[in-house]
Amino acid sequence: MKSSPDRITHALEATSRAGVLDALSPRRPTLSLPEINRLAARLRALPDERRPLRIALLRTYTTELLASCWTFESLLQEFELTLYQAPYGALLQELQPDARLDEFAPEVTYLFLRWEDLHPRLAGPITALPDRATVQAEALEYLGNLLAAFREKLPGLLVLTLLPRMTPPELGIFDAMAEDSEAAFFHELKRGIAQRLLPSVYFNDLNEVVDDLGRNHFFDARLWHTSRYPFSVAGAQAVVARLMSYPVLLKYPPVKCIALDADNTLWGGLVGEDGMEGIELGPDYPGSAYLAFQRRLLALRGRGLLLALCSKNNEADMLQVLREHPHQLLREEHFAAMRVNWEPKPGNLQAIALELNIGLDALLFVDDSDFECEAVRRQCPGVMVVQAPGTPLELPECLDGIPQLEVLQLTDEDRRRAALYAGRRKDQQLKATAASLDDYLASLEMVMRVGLDDRRHAARIAQLTQKTNQFNLTTRRYTEADIVRFMDDPGWLVAHFRLADIFGDHGLVGVALLRLDGETAEVDTLLISCRVIGRGAETAFLAHLLAHLAQRGIRLVRGYYYPTAKNEMVKDFWPRHAFTAVDESTFELEPITAPEARFFRVETEEAIAGIAGVPRLPQ
Amino acid sequence: MDNFTKLREIIALTFGVPADDITQTTTRDDVPAWDSVGHLNLMLALEDAFGLTLDIEDMARLTSVPAILEYLATA
Repeated sequence: MKSSPDRITHALEATSRAGVLDALSPRRPTLSLPEINRLAARLRALPDERRPLRIALLRTYTTELLASCWTFESLLQEFELTLYQAPYGALLQELQPDARLDEFAPEVTYLFLRWEDLHPRLAGPITALPDRATVQAEALEYLGNLLAAFREKLPGLLVLTLLPRMTPPELGIFDAMAEDSEAAFFHELKRGIAQRLLPSVYFNDLNEVVDDLGRNHFFDARLWHTSRYPFSVAGAQAVVARLMSYPVLLKYPPVKCIALDADNTLWGGLVGEDGMEGIELGPDYPGSAYLAFQRRLLALRGRGLLLALCSKNNEADMLQVLREHPHQLLREEHFAAMRVNWEPKPGNLQAIALELNIGLDALLFVDDSDFECEAVRRQCPGVMVVQAPGTPLELPECLDGIPQLEVLQLTDEDRRRAALYAGRRKDQQLKATAASLDDYLASLEMVMRVGLDDRRHAARIAQLTQKTNQFNLTTRRYTEADIVRFMDDPGWLVAHFRLADIFGDHGLVGVALLRLDGETAEVDTLLISCRVIGRGAETAFLAHLLAHLAQRGIRLVRGYYYPTAKNEMVKDFWPRHAFTAVDESTFELEPITAPEARFFRVETEEAIAGIAGVPRLPQ
Repeated sequence: MDNFTKLREIIALTFGVPADDITQTTTRDDVPAWDSVGHLNLMLALEDAFGLTLDIEDMARLTSVPAILEYLATA
């Protein structure tokens, strides 16, 4: 994982709210107070349109120091916050009418209470209580009345919190075994609370934050003793981040479906290239991390969220994994919709939303690729995009801490919803408008650098001939020695291209081997790494090669296609580029007409002078 | 960056006041936002910014720029 200081620096330099959120993901680093204030200032300076939000805090201990966290977290979720802190303590004792609170009309009210507020005996030792059941019953009754009174007075949501105990169990390490276990006592109380909640009243268990941080890091004893404020800076930001889920769920459309890429998201590697046996998915790392992510997704499905599959692959390859891979957890029946094809993903997501009868703003899209994530961000505004982390270790938690994935209730219907969709998939295809895809490709500022007979890259070129299966017209495998031999041979031309775009340099990703014979050129090999499929790179590369060949006096170009289990995607490559079929595997172009290279700036690399293999122009 | 410049920046950030308002002799009485809550926020911010761990007594007495600078000089 990038170090915390790096991620915080990125967050401070981000130019958008989404950028800040991305920089702080997947697991939020603990921010210092100056960092919280600086990020808040930065967010406030953005021209975001914020929704107003009114929050009230009712409390029996000091909460004023939470203010900077409330400001930051609300700006992060695009809220303009007005915060009202009710007079300390008085409200609880007498439930006096508070005119200011009534006027304020909060949308969400948080109760910051302590256990001893529910019953005076809870201030003392628990294990000494002779009548635990009575104390529990009395505490719960008091709480019930309190909540009913607040429910009557206050509009909006009510969220109850109880300050976790600051000290370890009285019985020490024996507590877990004791019949009068303190932990069990409070667990029972919390079960009782869960049963006594009212409509729009929620209980948020801050013990879960203590589980994350540890008691020592959650509390700050100095502040507690001087000011009756319990939280450390780390504790405060974790509590507020968690409590911000309620306004988000109140004000923003919930996510109903998680649409997932497959390669390098659900497993390591590319099933089209590596085959079902070659992908990483199983008990060993990194396969274990992908498995953990699949488990996490199944859990999210249990919250009533739907899962959809959106992958650029041959359907047969995909179905084989879903049906036969021994470690695959997400099977066909777990996906409410699937779009497995070579079409652009924005159109596929629109089709998925249509099929599931949900809005685009109810979709969350997960993909490892810069290209796909940005395409969806630009062409499907409203879809929430989470880029799968580059390190598999961070993948399982990449959807944790996203408020839109929380649920505030779970009915039987919610639990069963995902299963209802199994077997009802329809295959409506919807193409994203050509215009929006064109705009996107143009915005990527792609640069293709074509090289000829460049010995520096012989090893990589050979590697690509051995590894590439999908975008490969003839699937001939060569060693480095073979490639060097071709480069030295004037009857052969070894061409490659490198590709860079706004996301970075993708390296050497395309290869063509051409056999030259008088005025004819034969394409022995033409392949492209699946990393850069789907952008028209093949057309730009072919255009450049054809122009070069024409310049050398070539008048006829012959290309071949040999079908394999994996290269179905290129079966119409030659006809698409105006080649005529001579027989089922041979295609010819005469005279040479080069297609238009759209969206690419194509440059020629010069091999270093003096190295054998620099092509000679024909006499 | 010297201690005063850094301290001034932290005070300005914590209280939302212009850095120029803070001088070498500023005390908490000079800054309306430096109330009891503000003071605690400032102490926490100083811990982060200067890598300190303050004890309760320190927190109680570092109520002016001179006091803080003296503390930083000997920390």
